[in-house]
Amino acid sequence: MKALIVAEYTRDALEGIKAAKTLATGSTILLVFGPASTEAENLSGLVDKVYTLPSRNPEAVYNALRRVYEDEKPDLILGVVSKNVKDSLSRLAGAYDLPMSTEVLEASVEDGSVKYKRGILSERAYSIEKVPMPAIILFNPRIFEPEEARPGGEVVKLDEGDTKVKQIGISKKQLSGVKLEEAEIVVGVGRGFKKKEDLKLAFELAELLGGQVGGSRPIAADFKWLPEDAWIGISGKRISPKLYIAIGISGAPQHMSAVMGSKVIVAVNKDKNAPIFKQADYGVVADLYQFLPILIKKIRERKG
Amino acid sequence: MGDIVVLLKAALNPEMVRSKPDGTLDQDAIPLKLSDIDRNAVEEAAKLKQKLGGKVIGIMVLTVGPMAKREKDLKMAVQEALAKGVDEAIVVADDRLTPGDQVQTAKIIAEVIRNSGINPSIILASEATIDETTGQIPGRVAAKLGLPYISFARSIEVADGKIIAERDLEEELEKVEAELPVVVSVTQEINQPRPPTLIQIRRAARKPQKRLGADDVKQAIGTKRVILERRIVTINRKQQIIEGSNLEEIADKLIEILEKEGVIKL
Ligand SMILES: Cc1cc2nc3c(=O)[nH]c(=O)nc-3n(C[C@H](O)[C@H](O)[C@H](O)COP(=O)(O)OP(=O)(O)OC[C@H]3O[C@@H](n4cnc5c(N)ncnc54)[C@H](O)[C@@H]3O)c2cc1C
Ligand SMILES: Nc1ncnc2c1ncn2[C@@H]1O[C@H](COP(=O)(O)O)[C@@H](O)[C@H]1O
Repeated sequence: MKALIVAEYTRDALEGIKAAKTLATGSTILLVFGPASTEAENLSGLVDKVYTLPSRNPEAVYNALRRVYEDEKPDLILGVVSKNVKDSLSRLAGAYDLPMSTEVLEASVEDGSVKYKRGILSERAYSIEKVPMPAIILFNPRIFEPEEARPGGEVVKLDEGDTKVKQIGISKKQLSGVKLEEAEIVVGVGRGFKKKEDLKLAFELAELLGGQVGGSRPIAADFKWLPEDAWIGISGKRISPKLYIAIGISGAPQHMSAVMGSKVIVAVNKDKNAPIFKQADYGVVADLYQFLPILIKKIRERKG
Repeated sequence: MGDIVVLLKAALNPEMVRSKPDGTLDQDAIPLKLSDIDRNAVEEAAKLKQKLGGKVIGIMVLTVGPMAKREKDLKMAVQEALAKGVDEAIVVADDRLTPGDQVQTAKIIAEVIRNSGINPSIILASEATIDETTGQIPGRVAAKLGLPYISFARSIEVADGKIIAERDLEEELEKVEAELPVVVSVTQEINQPRPPTLIQIRRAARKPQKRLGADDVKQAIGTKRVILERRIVTINRKQQIIEGSNLEEIADKLIEILEKEGVIKL
């Protein structure tokens, strides 16, 4: 068995190496690109060989991957999902008709094939599937404990090859650094809020309860009323607080699947038929603009 | 401007999951719909056409059978795309191709593009579907056709045979540039799909549709994935609506319940 681990971020490399060692015995090769490439030396003691590519252009990564794939003939290609990892590996999968599974929750290797479990139907269901190797398996983040970095192995530098897509600019997103995944109480805001200023109702409630504010995808990604690290859902953050209060959120599967770990879910929505009420413990059918000021006032009174 | 190709999936609708009494997924009972973000891809195609001309060709490969049960949903999904701006649809549907995995689907799409006299300037797809959510089909198709690929595009601009796109990464927005032809996957934020007008809906019925079967894509027959088991995630929530004669009373009740649950301390 030979495993090739592909990673853009150092933490993902360390988790990927752990995944490879958990899944199978045999040789392990690591390809680090972009931000993780600076750590190539530091990681090299954990694997048989490290390939390193400074670029994070997925086309360059794909060019490099093809060469490494031809040279090493790995049985299993592993990683943790990130956008550039998905991008470059989907091209490798296309070029060699390799099965590829993303957002994998668990996997095992048995006689020439990989069996794995992953969410489907926007995580409303899960599927257990089997594919022959060679195959690509990308795990969800934070499933494997990261290995401790260890230097001292072989490092091979790769070059970009010819790329047709050129980077002409890059800008950092405005992130707040809020760690919703660690919050005990989360107030979630959705399109029921009419304008950005109105979110102060949610912030007031969260502050009174000692919680954090997160939002649905349209609020964070489209309207940009919240920083993107406050985006809750299967393409944002997965949360499991003691209490999740969803306000003006309809209950789309792509949002709700990521909050199912919450102990108690409260929904405030003015539409009594909103799907969220079937996925909540307690529902309040009300206009948030009328209900929230009253709720805030009551909590204030009790706190004294 | 050459052809504008849009990849469209009739996906299992996650808002209508159905299971059997033993908790296994009753897939045949789950309807299909045009995958959400494919609508954004269609909208973007329509905008490009308006600006640059060309023909918008939609390609849809049925991946879940049985055909007999899927005809109606498939037709609806195609109609929707045609009403929203696709000029011509190519649908590949055959029980010999279902259930299809991504290896097979990408092969079929590449074969259709190569063999149907299509001359793509741009191939648009979505970042991910609502059922499989793998985000891998566009990358696979790009590699098969030897085309450059721009993933997770939050905005695109096409002019003078070139595309400039903004890629949405975890912590950055990356601006990239490439010459056409190119494969692009778009995010949900790229546009606001407009509902079709009555005239568009009426015209859709008359737009050309081509049906292909397994014999038309012989090279692509065969899958690698075996599905062993599919189960629904059970949702066990109390689903209790808090009633009261006014909002004050409801607020009081809610606070008391949450204190009793031990999730807030005031
Ligand atoms: C592949 C994919 C991935 C996605 N990932 C995510 C994700 O990670 N996170 C996510 O959130 N979404 C995600 N989405 C989008 C998702 O499908 C929904 O579109 C989104 O969650 C809807 O957000 P919302 O509930 O805020 O808005 P809406 O669905 O528009 O709901 C607004 C709700 O507010 C209620 N309302 C309106 N006014 C009031 C008022 N005055 N008082 C009280 N209630 C009011 C309405 O009744 C309605 O129920 C994804 C979609 C796809 C296709
Ligand atoms: N069966 C299919 N037929 C046509 N296009 C597809 C199909 N499956 C996926 N696609 C395209 O690829 C995108 C991403 O799909 P996926 O890789 O399955 O998440 C979809 O939104 C479509 O644009």
